[in-house]
Amino acid sequence: MKGKVKIVKVIIPVISILIAFVIGGIIIAGLGKNPFEAYAYLFSGAFGSSQKFAQTLTIACPLIFTALAAAFAYKCGVFNLGGEGQFIIGAVTSIFVCLKLGVSGAPGILVSLILGTLMGGVWGAIPGILKITRGLNEMIVSIMLNYIATLFMGYVYTNSLREGSTPQTAAIADNLQIGRISDGFRVHWGFVVAIILAVVLAYIIFNTSFGFKIRAVGMNPMAAKFNGFPVKKLILSSFVISGAVAGLGGSIELHGKQFRLMSGFGQGFGFDGVAIALIAQLNPVGAAVVAFFFAVLRKGSSTLQTGMKVPSSVVDIIQALVIIFAVGGTVLIKKPSVQKLLNRSKNDKVSGKGAEA
Amino acid sequence: MKELLQMRGISKQFGDFYANKKVDLTVYEGEVHTLLGENGAGKSTLMNILIGLYQPTEGEIYLRGKKVHIDSPKTAVKLGIGMVHQHFMLVEAMTVFENIILGSTHDTSLFIKKDQLKKEIQELADKYDLDVELDKDITDISVGAQQRVEILKALYRGADLLILDEPTAALTDLEVKGLFQIINKLLSENKSVIFISHKMREVLQISTNVTILRAGESIVTVPRSEMDGAKLANLMIGREMVPSVYKKIKAEGPSVLDLQHISYHKNSKHNGLNDVTFAVHKGEIVGIAGVDGNGQSQLAQVATGVLKPEEGELDLESEAISVFDPLAFIMDNVSHIPEDRNKMGLIGDMSIEENLVLKRTKDPRFSVKNGLYLKKKEIREFAEEKRVKNDIRCTSVEQETRTLSGGNQQKVILARELDGSPELLVAVHPTRGLDIGATSFVHDTMIAARERGCGILLISADFDEILKVSDRIVVMFEGQIMGIYSGENPPIDEISLAMAGK
Repeated sequence: MKGKVKIVKVIIPVISILIAFVIGGIIIAGLGKNPFEAYAYLFSGAFGSSQKFAQTLTIACPLIFTALAAAFAYKCGVFNLGGEGQFIIGAVTSIFVCLKLGVSGAPGILVSLILGTLMGGVWGAIPGILKITRGLNEMIVSIMLNYIATLFMGYVYTNSLREGSTPQTAAIADNLQIGRISDGFRVHWGFVVAIILAVVLAYIIFNTSFGFKIRAVGMNPMAAKFNGFPVKKLILSSFVISGAVAGLGGSIELHGKQFRLMSGFGQGFGFDGVAIALIAQLNPVGAAVVAFFFAVLRKGSSTLQTGMKVPSSVVDIIQALVIIFAVGGTVLIKKPSVQKLLNRSKNDKVSGKGAEA
Repeated sequence: MKELLQMRGISKQFGDFYANKKVDLTVYEGEVHTLLGENGAGKSTLMNILIGLYQPTEGEIYLRGKKVHIDSPKTAVKLGIGMVHQHFMLVEAMTVFENIILGSTHDTSLFIKKDQLKKEIQELADKYDLDVELDKDITDISVGAQQRVEILKALYRGADLLILDEPTAALTDLEVKGLFQIINKLLSENKSVIFISHKMREVLQISTNVTILRAGESIVTVPRSEMDGAKLANLMIGREMVPSVYKKIKAEGPSVLDLQHISYHKNSKHNGLNDVTFAVHKGEIVGIAGVDGNGQSQLAQVATGVLKPEEGELDLESEAISVFDPLAFIMDNVSHIPEDRNKMGLIGDMSIEENLVLKRTKDPRFSVKNGLYLKKKEIREFAEEKRVKNDIRCTSVEQETRTLSGGNQQKVILARELDGSPELLVAVHPTRGLDIGATSFVHDTMIAARERGCGILLISADFDEILKVSDRIVVMFEGQIMGIYSGENPPIDEISLAMAGK
């Protein structure tokens, strides 16, 4: 049974992606282009050279963080839609550290990342606290906090830390930039941090008592309470961890890729993270894989546009279709008739009362 | 009187479990026919069959002597059967009038002829003395008025047979009086009413005939005139004493749970506790007898730390408790078989093995360094051991518990709760919905725990169960203790009167 469930969890995203590509292909054909050629362009844009591949991984990096943030909160049964705000707050904290505290070098990066992570956690704690003490809907609060974070960042790059006439902050010092893995493969080390974090979170969720309790609360908070779990504390910690992960992501994005804040920083990463987490069935390692896939689509779409004159919005359509099919697939397997189908072979093997509810 | 409805030999099977077994029910025109029985006796199932929500596994239904096949609620309405559910089926944001015409087929024209329909409905309401304000929103009227809307709705759809499911549960005494006047008015117009209740006083007041259901079977139908409260109570809970297979003991040891003047929501008759005082000693089973919904749930939740009592003192092993928190009680060796195994006892989407170690993920047996790493192999071995010992029927211990049968789910909970040696076990309806085999397994396990010195607080609406395993019997009614009796040769008549509040 369980093995089967695991397989289904991998199969759903894979099938969703395939169907989305088929429909995307039909649309491309409708535009009068050869879909196979188009997809070849798409993938060559993402994988064509080590330089392109490195760019793809760099795009994937922030998505991995926001997806991990969303997945962890979902595991505890709460919806953190504030990944974007926490991501931005992490970056804003870091820009202050870099430009105002006079830090430098590797210790400076470390301090900046730690403070960015902490502030992301604080930003995530707000909807958590309001939920467990006042029963406020965490989705609405966390979305509202996104606006506050975005507008605050706007204040920072247009006023307090503005440099020159363009509305943007100064760039951080060269010695505060996160290094690249190699000159030939220019991915910053933040990507490696993202992968390690995915593995660590997967370990916590599936191999520790804390993660066990987080999952239990996510699946049945009432039974968790009756069995002595501190449900409210667990919900709050899942929010704090979720926010901290997103905050670290924002901090790393600043140190590894953007180097300064300007309009549009972090935009859309929060919700893309939520979508990625859902497609990955809330599995942290799966989230990293799906985030990579999203990055492939993004990177490839520009090649597609320049090389084939296929508008990049076709890729947006494919991305949206993947989300729809993956979420639909998750709901579909919960239907009694589909469950029966999945359980049939099991019941054939074991006669008797085992399966009857 | 003419016969209106006859249900003959109705059975309804869910898996191996019979919710109804060969039930017979005959309702005459112009009578109030009461269905009396405990929770789980099969009243709701029978009515759901009558209104077409369920199809019977066996049996036939006759209406005015003609055999009918009720395949959907729509058919039931066409046949003149209307039901007022315990929880009203009204659209709160709509007006009374809109709710009444909602889905009715009186007027099939494209535009609603509001004035004409309103006039019709008002006339109908006047005919039956149903006081309703058609233009008010449902949210703005009282519960009693909502019920009148439901009745009017059913009558407007042409109901001759009206099923009222626990209609007095949410009403004040005054509203109950009003309802009974309406029922009498209905009778005078030759309508029939099926009245579902377990409130003895009301049953005696309003019924023409009473059919008693127990464990899914119709025990007997008797005219009201031949009955009194004690007789009905005896029939409802089953008068004959099943000779107990277990030896009753008299515990002399120290108390493991001691309640002194505990109160919680004192004024709520059905969901509160009023000055409750009794103790559970080491190595004895104390059974709480009483009709469901007289404060038993609250008692169980106070005794396991889920609810904090408003007044009184609770001692565990002679130490007064001030922190009411499930974890603190678990640390004090209190185990709990909660009343709803799916909602409160198990994480349905987790596997059997995960549910078995639910409370013990930091136990050195199953984890390294206080929960930093879960020893999957040890957990598996533990689960396998419990599976064999408790005969949990499953494909593997990795199976999710929501896919197990009720009996096997309960075996998982028992295995978890009796692991280690709890000082106190609070078991609520531990055998509800279980077949005979699983039931006796649960009882045997409880007795074995008693022999080890565990004190057990057993709360059950099944009186046979209480008689079978309890060393002492405490009777609860409307949140109060009505009496404490010995489990050996208990005075059944006295107890059944106490359960009815006398």
